[in-house]
Amino acid sequence: MSQLRLSRSELPGTRFTFGVALPLLALLVVGLTFPLFGGGYWGVIATRACIYWVLVAGLNLVVGFAGQIAIGWVALLTLGAYTASVLTAGNVMPPLHPYLALAIAGVVGAVFGLIIGLPALRLRTFYFAITTLGFATIVTQVALAWQSVTGGGVGVPGPILPEPFYSQWGFYYFCLALAAICTWMTANIAASRFGRALTAIRDADVAAEACGISKPALLAMVFLFSGAVAGVAGGLFASLQSYITPDAFTIDLSVLFFIAILIGGQGSILGPLLGTLLLTVLPEFSAPLVAWSTFLYAALLLVIVLAIPGGIAELLDFKNRRPLESGRAIMPRPELLSRLLGTAKGRSALTLDGVSLSFGALRAVDELDLKIEPAQVHGLIGPNGSGKTTTLNIISGYYAPQRGAVRMNGAALPVLAPAQRAHVRIARTFQTPRIVGSASVLENVMIGATIDGMGTFVESLLSLPRHRRDETMLRERAMQALAAVGLERLAEVRADRLQHSELRFTEIARALTLRPAFLLLDEPAAGLSANEIAQLSALLAAIARAGTGVLLVEHHAELIFDVCDRVTVLNLGRKLAAGTPAEIRSHREVVDAYLGA
Amino acid sequence: MTLTRRQALVSAGAAAFASGLAKPAIAAKDPIQVGYLPALTGPSSSTGIGINRGIQLAVQELNAAGGIDGRQIELITRDTQSDPTKAVNGAAELTRGQKVSVVFGPVNSGESLAVVPLLARTNTPQVHPCWVDTLTDPKKYPMCFRNAPTNQQIGAAANRYVVNILKKKKVAVISDTTGYGTASVNAYVPMLKGMGADIVYQGNVDAANPDLKPELLRMQSAGTEAIMPWSVNAGFLSRIINTRGQMGWDVPIVGQTTLGSGQTKDLLEKLDYWAKVYPNNFRPVCYQSDGQLTDRTREFLDRLKSAKIDIGDTLLWWIAIGYDSPRMIAEAMKNAGTEPQQIVGYLNKLKGFAGVFGDISFTPEQHDGYPDEQVVMVEANSLKDGAFRLAPGYGA
Amino acid sequence: MVESIVSTGLAIGCIYALIGITYNVMYSASRVFSFTAGTLGMLGGILGALFIARMGMPVAAGFLLALAGGALFGLVTEIVAVRPVLKSLDQHLYVLSTLALALMVQQFTAIEWGTEARPFPRLIDIPRGGFDQQFWLPMLACAVVIVGLELLHRRTLVGRAFLAIAEDTYAARALGLPERRLRMASFALAGVIGALAGFAGGQMLLAFFGNAPLLTFYGFVPVALGGMGNNRGAVVAGLLLGLFQQTANFLVGGIFASVAVFTVFILVLLVRPEGLAGGVTPRRV
Repeated sequence: MSQLRLSRSELPGTRFTFGVALPLLALLVVGLTFPLFGGGYWGVIATRACIYWVLVAGLNLVVGFAGQIAIGWVALLTLGAYTASVLTAGNVMPPLHPYLALAIAGVVGAVFGLIIGLPALRLRTFYFAITTLGFATIVTQVALAWQSVTGGGVGVPGPILPEPFYSQWGFYYFCLALAAICTWMTANIAASRFGRALTAIRDADVAAEACGISKPALLAMVFLFSGAVAGVAGGLFASLQSYITPDAFTIDLSVLFFIAILIGGQGSILGPLLGTLLLTVLPEFSAPLVAWSTFLYAALLLVIVLAIPGGIAELLDFKNRRPLESGRAIMPRPELLSRLLGTAKGRSALTLDGVSLSFGALRAVDELDLKIEPAQVHGLIGPNGSGKTTTLNIISGYYAPQRGAVRMNGAALPVLAPAQRAHVRIARTFQTPRIVGSASVLENVMIGATIDGMGTFVESLLSLPRHRRDETMLRERAMQALAAVGLERLAEVRADRLQHSELRFTEIARALTLRPAFLLLDEPAAGLSANEIAQLSALLAAIARAGTGVLLVEHHAELIFDVCDRVTVLNLGRKLAAGTPAEIRSHREVVDAYLGA
Repeated sequence: MTLTRRQALVSAGAAAFASGLAKPAIAAKDPIQVGYLPALTGPSSSTGIGINRGIQLAVQELNAAGGIDGRQIELITRDTQSDPTKAVNGAAELTRGQKVSVVFGPVNSGESLAVVPLLARTNTPQVHPCWVDTLTDPKKYPMCFRNAPTNQQIGAAANRYVVNILKKKKVAVISDTTGYGTASVNAYVPMLKGMGADIVYQGNVDAANPDLKPELLRMQSAGTEAIMPWSVNAGFLSRIINTRGQMGWDVPIVGQTTLGSGQTKDLLEKLDYWAKVYPNNFRPVCYQSDGQLTDRTREFLDRLKSAKIDIGDTLLWWIAIGYDSPRMIAEAMKNAGTEPQQIVGYLNKLKGFAGVFGDISFTPEQHDGYPDEQVVMVEANSLKDGAFRLAPGYGA
Repeated sequence: MVESIVSTGLAIGCIYALIGITYNVMYSASRVFSFTAGTLGMLGGILGALFIARMGMPVAAGFLLALAGGALFGLVTEIVAVRPVLKSLDQHLYVLSTLALALMVQQFTAIEWGTEARPFPRLIDIPRGGFDQQFWLPMLACAVVIVGLELLHRRTLVGRAFLAIAEDTYAARALGLPERRLRMASFALAGVIGALAGFAGGQMLLAFFGNAPLLTFYGFVPVALGGMGNNRGAVVAGLLLGLFQQTANFLVGGIFASVAVFTVFILVLLVRPEGLAGGVTPRRV
């Protein structure tokens, strides 16, 4: 009960707060006092669990948060282990101090983390999974072949840490400390704009792009970090093993790391931590289990995938099992918008000049001119296939027009660069809401203003002041947007528990958090009740009043004529008519082709 | 938790010497715990399975005969699954959890490389049968003993046979890519060169490679007079033998003892191909020039047969090592005591322990106990009851 | 020497191509790449050795039973690891479910069959020639599968239905095609092809549990390079891969051959993620 009450006052997962940290701190206390009740043998197992977690914590950002299926991460453990061992063994160059060797192992791990990870930017999921497996095989092969350095199959002795970390418990505390630091750092990232951006890439990558999240830059940082901790984990692993040979780095170990995360649950820190402990410790309880351990891991993975995709984290997520209030209504408060959006700033219009785009023989958009004024709602209507959504996708940079350009402030916007649009304050929503289901509504909305954070990835890792200021700012802005669209009471709820109409308003809130100069809405009224449409209409009008230009692609004629300042009608990719709602309403051809139907 | 796990281990280890035997009068004393780290499952488990049969028999016999001063020997077994990480966990459990008096194993070099330094840190006496040279070092690991040949001895015997007995000068040395294989090639090539042989081919090949014809063609075109393969992988070795047979090439194959294992035999396309294949083996467990085993070995074989221990699918020397090891440890404990220093002190002066596998001697400076001259080469296709005839040229 | 490169290279290439086709047949029916493709190859070899060498069955019976085993495992894959996650294809859960199933079968095999490579029987009792059955059997199997699939797709109603599903699942369902039954049939067919690859290549690869990951990787290379769902591309790329690997074996030997194959694979994919045969990126918005 206390836990429930505690979490009510929290913003779930948005801050690395006491409530989130409590189970982790409890685990740390167990870890710190472990030597009091664990025998020497269990000390080795506990040390191993700590080392594995150092690696898994980093991999968790790749697999659990960014959703990249990196199966062969043992490759980085191998690299780190060999780097640390070879540098301290002195068989190639004068031996280095073990701490320095561990640090270099981290650097080597980071570099190779980037190399192994970057194909993820080009390749499909399964392809990437296969390439990481390939890397794991290759690294072992190279370790075998490069005998002068790695000792080939005979291997090299692992690094030996000096006192006070030489003794068993000394080394254990060293590993525990690193494990705790990694937990803290990854939890910081998870609760930062970077962590939210990663989940957005995983579950709604198109929306992530529209929010200005640069997938390559973000993934590169995550791969660097994940590689670095894996490299350090490798050095520790070599030290624990006392001696490393290529056959210590099995694919089974890689599978253990990977499965630990999925059993724990994607997008969680505590879950994969428990998963790692479970998989490290479980086989130690009974000898027959050891031979079948990989089989059991795999079976567990299958069960998780089929039955509880959220893993342990979902089982532990008591808060989101409380029923939501039924029959709840969305009550937007448009009057709050001016505080969020500020007032009109004398912007110029967003224009399309002679834009054309064909798909094969089909002319989707044909010589289209369009001018979206600030502080106005511009309706774009037309029958199915008339090119409305294509126009929207050209403006937001997903398609390159074959002729013509999209201009803002007189300058043509770059084509095929959707992630650039957020930087010129163009925000959008989608026909089907693209939302991170496992994140809270508030977190989803905060994603909208990712680019307005000032702190770097490293500042977030270490929870430095700029990171904390960013978080406060983003949360405030997102709460304002949620209050404006009328969803603030659902801020803490997992987004996949919302109703369809609530998702639509969530997307609008996410777009508003960017403080857009222009807002592009793709059929926002689809699936809304009459009452909700009226709410939407008032909201859109208020958005325009606050100075933002709105492009409204919509079928719902009443909404269009109610809220729009200007309307453009498309047919077969061409402009059929343009004018005020009144003019359009009386336009013969429009009435014949579209409205009359 | 430790308790239940321990019970499980005891019952597994003790199952072999359970019921029918008369209990000695002073069985009430605490048993002596001997740690045991075999690889009973996993990719390189065939050695461990063979050794295990000998160990179980020896412990059973020792306990039936009253144990050590009335104390039973209790094997605390931890399967390493041919995985060094499991071996490290197992070593930790044996030394820190169970506090055994002495450890036998691991039985594979890759695992021993990790375990030997760890046991040295906990001052646990260790006996292991692994071949990699660096696995004994009386200075770094004063409590670690090897009751088997070193790689150096193994290679030297094979090299002597090729260069001095077969009088072949142009030699091809090939291995798989495992640690054992690559290390062997690296160690033996300079030895061969030192003996005046000409290395016309040297290579490490992935054991999974289905086609070794390229390699053998290269050897052939280089004028190879003898092929020396170093691998414990039966599939790999059989491919070498099969390819040689398909090419109709009668070059002798001289090398690793697995060349003569039943698994290699099963993978041959024709049994004829097994001719002129000379694996390593050990004189005490071979048929002598009269075609008979030595008395000591024959007796052992009879005991194995009467205990209904399967020898058809393994090699006699594996069982023999397994059989000798606990007896050697027991002798040390009987004569000196069960404290680590007492065991080590005794082993340091061990002279000519008469094992089935061979006569083992140690000194404080020399912890490799197997005598050079007992490492020999044999004829692979003479395999019977896990033992072989000496290769032509020995003792004739 | 050249003769050896060509015969072994093409034979191995045919096995890779067949595993590639196994991937493709499953992909066409479900839009799912399954980690079980290599497992099927491994099962073909092990079931063949089990039925013929260990249980002493006639070759023909062992062959049919091995293929039936493949078909059965194909069906199990569809029911256990594919169907439940088809609803959420974009979450890529199939990667995990098929990986889990493949690992389970591989580990089970390692424990029950053993981790040693075991012999695969000679199938046809004829003397060994220069161009042995272990080389031409995989080639024959590959040819039979290609011709068989062509005939199936062109001449039979079921085959056309397969094509329709591969082209557009939703449209096919709208046309009233029994999509689920066709998908199950596809997975059974993929199982047969995968098991056939392992069976025909058994004399080269032996009955060995470690063939599963090996074939999963090398069998995927033809799919990646030849373009997914493209069987002709897979055959061409598979043969090239076999020849390339074998040549690398000859020229640089052992370890470096697999490094070379992997490097080429990565580089080609990075330059042309859709494979050498081309293709278009699907619409995202």
